[in-house]
Amino acid sequence: MRTAWIGLGLGVALALQTTLARMVAGTGAPVDLVLVVVIVVAIATGPLSGLWAGTVGGLLQDALSGGVIGVGGLSKTVVGYLVGQFGAQFMVTRPAHQVPVFFVGSLIHAAFFVGIYLLLFEGDTVVTTYHDLLIQAATNTVIGGVASIGLQVAPGPSERRRLRRRWPSR
Amino acid sequence: MIGHVVLISIQVNTASGVGVFEGMAFGVFSEVQRAVNGTVGTVTTLWDGYVGLQSVQAENEELRRDVSDLQLRLQRERALAQRARGLEALLGLRRVVGASTLSARVIAGDATPYFRTVTIDRGAGDGVRRDSAVVSPDGVVGRVVSTPTLRAAKVQLLIDRSAAAGALIERTRVAGLVMGGVDERVFRMEYVSNLDDVQVGDVVVTSGIDGIYPKGHVIGDVDVVQRGPGLYRTIHVRPRVEFTDLEDVLVLVPDAAVGSTTAGGE
Repeated sequence: MRTAWIGLGLGVALALQTTLARMVAGTGAPVDLVLVVVIVVAIATGPLSGLWAGTVGGLLQDALSGGVIGVGGLSKTVVGYLVGQFGAQFMVTRPAHQVPVFFVGSLIHAAFFVGIYLLLFEGDTVVTTYHDLLIQAATNTVIGGVASIGLQVAPGPSERRRLRRRWPSR
Repeated sequence: MIGHVVLISIQVNTASGVGVFEGMAFGVFSEVQRAVNGTVGTVTTLWDGYVGLQSVQAENEELRRDVSDLQLRLQRERALAQRARGLEALLGLRRVVGASTLSARVIAGDATPYFRTVTIDRGAGDGVRRDSAVVSPDGVVGRVVSTPTLRAAKVQLLIDRSAAAGALIERTRVAGLVMGGVDERVFRMEYVSNLDDVQVGDVVVTSGIDGIYPKGHVIGDVDVVQRGPGLYRTIHVRPRVEFTDLEDVLVLVPDAAVGSTTAGGE
């Protein structure tokens, strides 16, 4: 069941990244929704799920984009695993604690992604600047923070509704 | 992890890509993108045309409601007129191009923020082939990369860092290579000698030498010309195409391919 939810999350993130993000912010919107989902999954479920979410999400993203297949997969796999390990070692359950995780996770991903391209190919092949990377990390952080708050708040009302149905007198 | 490294290595060595996986993922997901694009369009239309209007009606007095209604109608008419003008321009360009063309709609952008590609709603079934040039009434847009699926194709925009096109300065016929720049607003024109005559405002057109883009399509206007440190000038070209909000484009396709499907476009 959890795997299905993660898959659904990645699929929705990909669909939104390619359609809605472009409509809102134009071509090359400075946000990576798949990375946000990978980090959310890694924080919530640990390094192994984070690793797999990163692998699947990154490979699908590579297949849909104009780059080499595997670079995004590798970068997101590393980020998913590292964030999952970090989440297992430290308390990052509160959204306020997760904010730096999203920001640093985005920067690590960018370093791996751009770094691999710089290693493999002569000259620059990806469209980015340090300024763009910082904006992207900030946008990912904001969206990730909002998603974390949503995920923490959402179960409360639904749980209360469920309990009310079970014990109507309360 | 090792699998990723092997996957990357295969592509770097053979420069062939992983066709099956890429094709399957792109084929399946382009349908999802088409559906999401359609749904978002419908929701936007519903919101603009009904829900938004209703909230305005509830909040405003009778007169203000009438004014809003008229304004909304005016906006719709303007949008329709603009769309008609765009289609007219496309039609005009189709006559000028002289090759078989196919109108297409952009249905999705790139899946990552690092590349500049878009997905169009025309594919191999419509005659689109790998390396087909894509243009708009304003100028050159890009080329089809990867093998298109039946109903969709991936287009690498000319602003992508790894995109390039053979180019000429229209006034002096000086040749060079236009390459994607750092952002959507600048191309670099390379390999133009410091001795050649190039001025700000010169129009840059395709030279046809790359075998992808036909000769004579407008790319942009020279924005910056400087004497370079070596043999070549530093030239920045401002694109004519507004890449941030591309909607309708034309794909130039081989005659034989399009003859069986649309006979010169729709």
